[in-house]
Amino acid sequence: MGNNLWKDTWLMTVRNIKTTLRNPFSFIPNLIISAFFLLVYEGGLSGISQLPTFEGANYLAFILPVSIVSAAIGGAGGAGQSIVKDIENGFFSRLLLTPASRLAIVLGPIIAGMLQLVVQTLLIIGIAFLLGLEVVTGFGGILFVLLIAVGWGLAFAGYSAGVALRTGNAQAAQAGTFIFFPLIFLSTTFVPYDLIEAQWLKIAATINPTTYIFESMRTALIDGWVFWDLMQGVFAILIVCTITITFAAVSAKKAVSRG
Amino acid sequence: MNGKIVVEHLTKTFKKGNVQAVKDVSFEVEEGEFFAFLGPNGAGKSTTVQILTTLINATSGKAEVAGHDVIREPEKVRRYIGVALQETGVDPDLTGREMIELQANIFGFRKEEGKKRAQELLEIVQLTEAAERRIGNYSGGMRRRLDLALTLVNEPKILFLDEPTTGLDPSNRMAIWEELRRLNEEVGTTIFLTTQYLEEADSLAHRISIINDGEIVATGTPKELKAQIGNDLITLTLKDENQQAEAVEYLRGQMADVDVISRHNKVLIYVEEGTKQLLEVVRLFDQEGYEIEDIQLSSPTLDDIFLKITSEKKEGVRADGE
Repeated sequence: MGNNLWKDTWLMTVRNIKTTLRNPFSFIPNLIISAFFLLVYEGGLSGISQLPTFEGANYLAFILPVSIVSAAIGGAGGAGQSIVKDIENGFFSRLLLTPASRLAIVLGPIIAGMLQLVVQTLLIIGIAFLLGLEVVTGFGGILFVLLIAVGWGLAFAGYSAGVALRTGNAQAAQAGTFIFFPLIFLSTTFVPYDLIEAQWLKIAATINPTTYIFESMRTALIDGWVFWDLMQGVFAILIVCTITITFAAVSAKKAVSRG
Repeated sequence: MNGKIVVEHLTKTFKKGNVQAVKDVSFEVEEGEFFAFLGPNGAGKSTTVQILTTLINATSGKAEVAGHDVIREPEKVRRYIGVALQETGVDPDLTGREMIELQANIFGFRKEEGKKRAQELLEIVQLTEAAERRIGNYSGGMRRRLDLALTLVNEPKILFLDEPTTGLDPSNRMAIWEELRRLNEEVGTTIFLTTQYLEEADSLAHRISIINDGEIVATGTPKELKAQIGNDLITLTLKDENQQAEAVEYLRGQMADVDVISRHNKVLIYVEEGTKQLLEVVRLFDQEGYEIEDIQLSSPTLDDIFLKITSEKKEGVRADGE
């Protein structure tokens, strides 16, 4: 009977996907916002790519990572949302009273959140292609961008799951997602680093790990296979994931412990 | 593995506020027994159940459920118990059938077995018609019946139910009672139930422990508990309420071997031989000029027992303090 990590993780993941699909409003707004970023910024700002600093790059390819990161963070945030929901309505406690693997109980929503992220990212990339996106690195580059999105989503999923497990409170978890704004906008969001005017924003962009995610995706989309430029995103992911996954693990341990 | 519960010197202190919720509680529940934990809100009932069902750890003491230590072998305990706590809920976005199937799969049923088990349980708790509806749309009574079905998925040896009928209307309450009786009598499931309702414990349980303020204050069969405090109860009201305290003192002085309790505007007298002592009370009061407005003779209900035990305790505490 029971206590099989793989089987339990599978059960938890399937159930989380099911409930996500039954609540379309848990993902549709984020998807619309991400697509909106792409359309509006491309429509309104694409003229600035005529500036020499852009070196002739297509603005659509430049702004696409912003839209992807927005979709990724939204998808990953879903993991925290569903954990909070389970804690609030007592389903989490019920699971703790079964022989289900404790790890699976926490992994299920995270994996479901990552799958949601992949689907959302693919949809956004699809929209970009419809708008005329061209990628220098081709299919491999798209795959790389997707991997970076998953990695960055995982880092954010760790954060959102950690907050959820620690507080067990929807408002707190919701407040936690506000980190979304500084992460996305205090960066090289709209223009390359050299074109940022304010010194404070330059400093913020240097500290903000999202900058390295944007830059590494842009390298794949615009510049080609430039190894170290691509790797900056991978390093950012490794560092941030280590921190947030540890945070999630410690919080999870606390949430399933019997004090 | 067996269907027993053995609890020895269980204590739980919550760090937050340094509250001692359970104080040195010991008891045993035999296999196949229907046992009730009776007490008011905040008495420590839920905390005890949470420890026995492996949800929280005890501060000290020992508890064995189904032959396994709840602290050292929680995984084993979880296999053999069915639990419905106030804290446990369901995923409102799943249908009743999906919820039961998921629970079955977690307990190791294969897909087809899980489907079969879900159908059986839906029939038992009469939810077949609502089975394909999302649980979010269920009424309170349906939710409680689904809860019961979920606790039965793994054919538990021991069932823990924390106030299973609180807030239910009488017809839903009766339906749950009937099912619990059936499980206990026909399947032989050991049942540990907590309740605030004395009639619930009285009508269902073989044995009852009364818990108050974290301590067990009395244990016995409903009959024993009734006998423990005398066979009969005289309840009287005086015409002049202001005389009540004085009259109670007087009666205590005159009838040393009976318990006299003053409660609101009523005087409760627990006696061995109702009719004889009723006459004596009337005679004594008449002599002293206390006019009786109303007097009744009855067998004590668990309600009366509960009042007596808890008020004795309070008086004891007060006496100690002075």
